[in-house]
Amino acid sequence: MTTAPETTDPLAQKGKPRPIKAGVDDLVEVRMTVNGTPAVLSLPARVTLADALRDHLGLTGTHVGCEHGVCGMCTVLVDGQAARACLLFAVQLDGADIVTVEGLGRPDDLHPLQEAFGRNHALQCGFCTPGFLMSSYDLLSTKPEVTEDELPEELSGVICRCTGYRNILTAVRETHEAHPDGIPAPGNCAHRALVGRATGQGGGSTDGREAGEDTAAEGTRRIDIVLPDGDPTIAVDIETEIGVPVDAVWRVFDDVHLLARCLPGAELTEDLGEDHYGGRARVSVGPIKLSFKGVAHVVAHDRAGQRLRVLAQGQDTGGAQTQADIVLRTEATATGTAMRAEAKVYLTGRIAQFGRALAGDVSRRMFEQFADALREAATSGQAPSGPVKAPSALKLLFAPLIDRIRTALRRGRRTAR
Amino acid sequence: MKAAPFAYVRPSTLPDAIAELASTDGGGKVIAGGQSLVPVLAMRLARPETLVDINSVAELDRIGTAGGYLEIGATVRQRRVERDPVSAAVPLLGMALPWVGHRELRSRGTVCGSLAHADPAAELPAVACCLNAELVVTGTGGARRVPAREFFSGAMTTALGPSDILTAARFPIAGRGEGFGFAEIARRHGDFALAGVAARVRVRGAETDAELTGFGVSDRPVTCSAGGELATALSECGGDVSRLASTLSGPLTAVAEELVDTDGDAHASRDYRRRLFRTLASRELSKAYERARRSAGEVNP
Ligand SMILES: Cc1cc2nc3c(=O)[nH]c(=O)nc-3n(C[C@H](O)[C@H](O)[C@H](O)COP(=O)(O)OP(=O)(O)OC[C@H]3O[C@@H](n4cnc5c(N)ncnc54)[C@H](O)[C@@H]3O)c2cc1C
Ligand code: FES
Ligand code: FES
Repeated sequence: MTTAPETTDPLAQKGKPRPIKAGVDDLVEVRMTVNGTPAVLSLPARVTLADALRDHLGLTGTHVGCEHGVCGMCTVLVDGQAARACLLFAVQLDGADIVTVEGLGRPDDLHPLQEAFGRNHALQCGFCTPGFLMSSYDLLSTKPEVTEDELPEELSGVICRCTGYRNILTAVRETHEAHPDGIPAPGNCAHRALVGRATGQGGGSTDGREAGEDTAAEGTRRIDIVLPDGDPTIAVDIETEIGVPVDAVWRVFDDVHLLARCLPGAELTEDLGEDHYGGRARVSVGPIKLSFKGVAHVVAHDRAGQRLRVLAQGQDTGGAQTQADIVLRTEATATGTAMRAEAKVYLTGRIAQFGRALAGDVSRRMFEQFADALREAATSGQAPSGPVKAPSALKLLFAPLIDRIRTALRRGRRTAR
Repeated sequence: MKAAPFAYVRPSTLPDAIAELASTDGGGKVIAGGQSLVPVLAMRLARPETLVDINSVAELDRIGTAGGYLEIGATVRQRRVERDPVSAAVPLLGMALPWVGHRELRSRGTVCGSLAHADPAAELPAVACCLNAELVVTGTGGARRVPAREFFSGAMTTALGPSDILTAARFPIAGRGEGFGFAEIARRHGDFALAGVAARVRVRGAETDAELTGFGVSDRPVTCSAGGELATALSECGGDVSRLASTLSGPLTAVAEELVDTDGDAHASRDYRRRLFRTLASRELSKAYERARRSAGEVNP
């Protein structure tokens, strides 16, 4: 497969593609930095960068139109310069630094270009928007001396089928005027900690094998979970009533194996010592099936303070990465226990494409399933009959809908709180 | 619209790259920027068994001047040439590069890749022919230098053998008394030209000579060294450049007849291309002449 030397740091080779020789059916290993995060992919040589970003890393912001370089929809930054992601094979980008539209800004903190596009109605269907944003970012960052007259020609590499050109040009001109000496760097390129780096496998390995398969023999290593800076992708803060006394709930919390069996789709596979555990989790939503393999660290187990805090980090075979900081609090009530869960979930890759709202709904739904299982375990003192089923496609597709309706109804009350 | 499977090799030395190509026995293709090759693969117009990626061959990644030439290695991107100050040594390159596709394509596309691809409507082969650049071709038998005007043998056909690599292109550095012109007409900026011209004029005292290359008008870039009527027209007009374009128009009619031999297509007939060529050529020759005289110190800048 690869003749490349192994290194543990994906960035060690930055900028230099390693020599390689791959047969027609071989998978080729590619290490690149995508929006600030190192990624290791393993894919056939004929997969384009556009497809690798969309299908292997879940970054579907990069659009694909013509697939032969004409329309510009797939424009991304490669080592700081705009390039067509459909005209590059991902394997050519070993060591490269890629920035996609996802890296340009955050939904709650947009890049000035994104702001200007919104303000000027420079998007109708939005299909060309990522391409225009990346192309105009490249223009304003590499040619700050560009004049207004040159803009139409300079931006002609991307085609807008909704013909929003006037507004697009206005948006780019305004951004240029606001930042005459060059525009701010992409605002959402953070280094996110990845699973398994300590074992020499970079995060986001997408070799198509089932999670666990490759590491079953070597086992999971204990790693320090470092949460990324910045806001989480999803913040969940939910309360639920469990009709059992606090003591019974904590008996479940005390037994990690029992606790794990209450988690929907989860399975504890290893005790790594010092409150670290290895495990697996499966989630499926519609056609998307994610199988995470990861590590959990119980950082606080404070019965007196009625607080349990767990950091978890997992990686899906498709390259999705999840990190979570979960705090469970209990409080005795007249009827049993009020349990409150605060979770901050950081997602990258395919899973992030659920859209925040839906991902939040899924998490909330999983929490409810967890609470149900917890109630059962606390009551019977035993694990729920069989591991709690992975949230199933059907249930999850409908449950979020119902949830949303409920949320809408409850909204008034919540905001009042 | 996905490429058929292929084997992929990325050697780190030139001899390895050539050996890899040779070992495929004609079934291999070089990939440099991929800006022409990937669409061809995606449309399955070509199904090479092996792609030999030359981007890790360090010695191909250089640009610099030596011995009167600007030498551009095989993996040097078009955008790098466009931005590198050394390129000023060959003004015609700087005039032509912005016309090559779009910025996004030039970020990856190489100068040598464009020459090796040999699209008849491409700009860089025309520049190479107009200046008669030296193309360094390296194969199993070693390196040889092929004059650009002999390199292109037809639409997308060149002097490259199946295991040859175009390792560098050497463009002569412009001297005193030389001036250049470049223009094309395309349906949209960044598209291939319907017709285009590259012009080089040299003024040495009373002597004037010129080279004119047309592209998009034949199955390869076509060059004429302006002698006879054309040279006379150029030198006779003396200081009155305003009259030059119209003076040239006559002699250029014959040149257009001769050089523009493409059949018409959906976008332009042969006659239209001849008119385009004649108009562009007279304008660019005049500009080149004026620039040449300025460079020779005959006119005040
Ligand atoms: C939408 C679009 C618009 C375009 N517009 C223009 C335009 O206006 N003008 C223009 O000139 N071009 C245009 N192009 C084509 C393209 O930009 C250039 O031809 C390109 O830069 C070629 O360089 P490359 O390095 O990408 O070559 P590649 O695509 O890597 O290779 C092209 C061909 O040359 C061979 N090759 C490459 N390098 C070598 C080498 N060193 N030795 C031997 N063989 C080699 C390859 O095997 C292949 O057959 C356009 C392309 C697209 C997709
Ligand atoms: S999809 Fe890449 S340019 Fe159209
Ligand atoms: S907004 Fe629809 S394609 Fe541009």
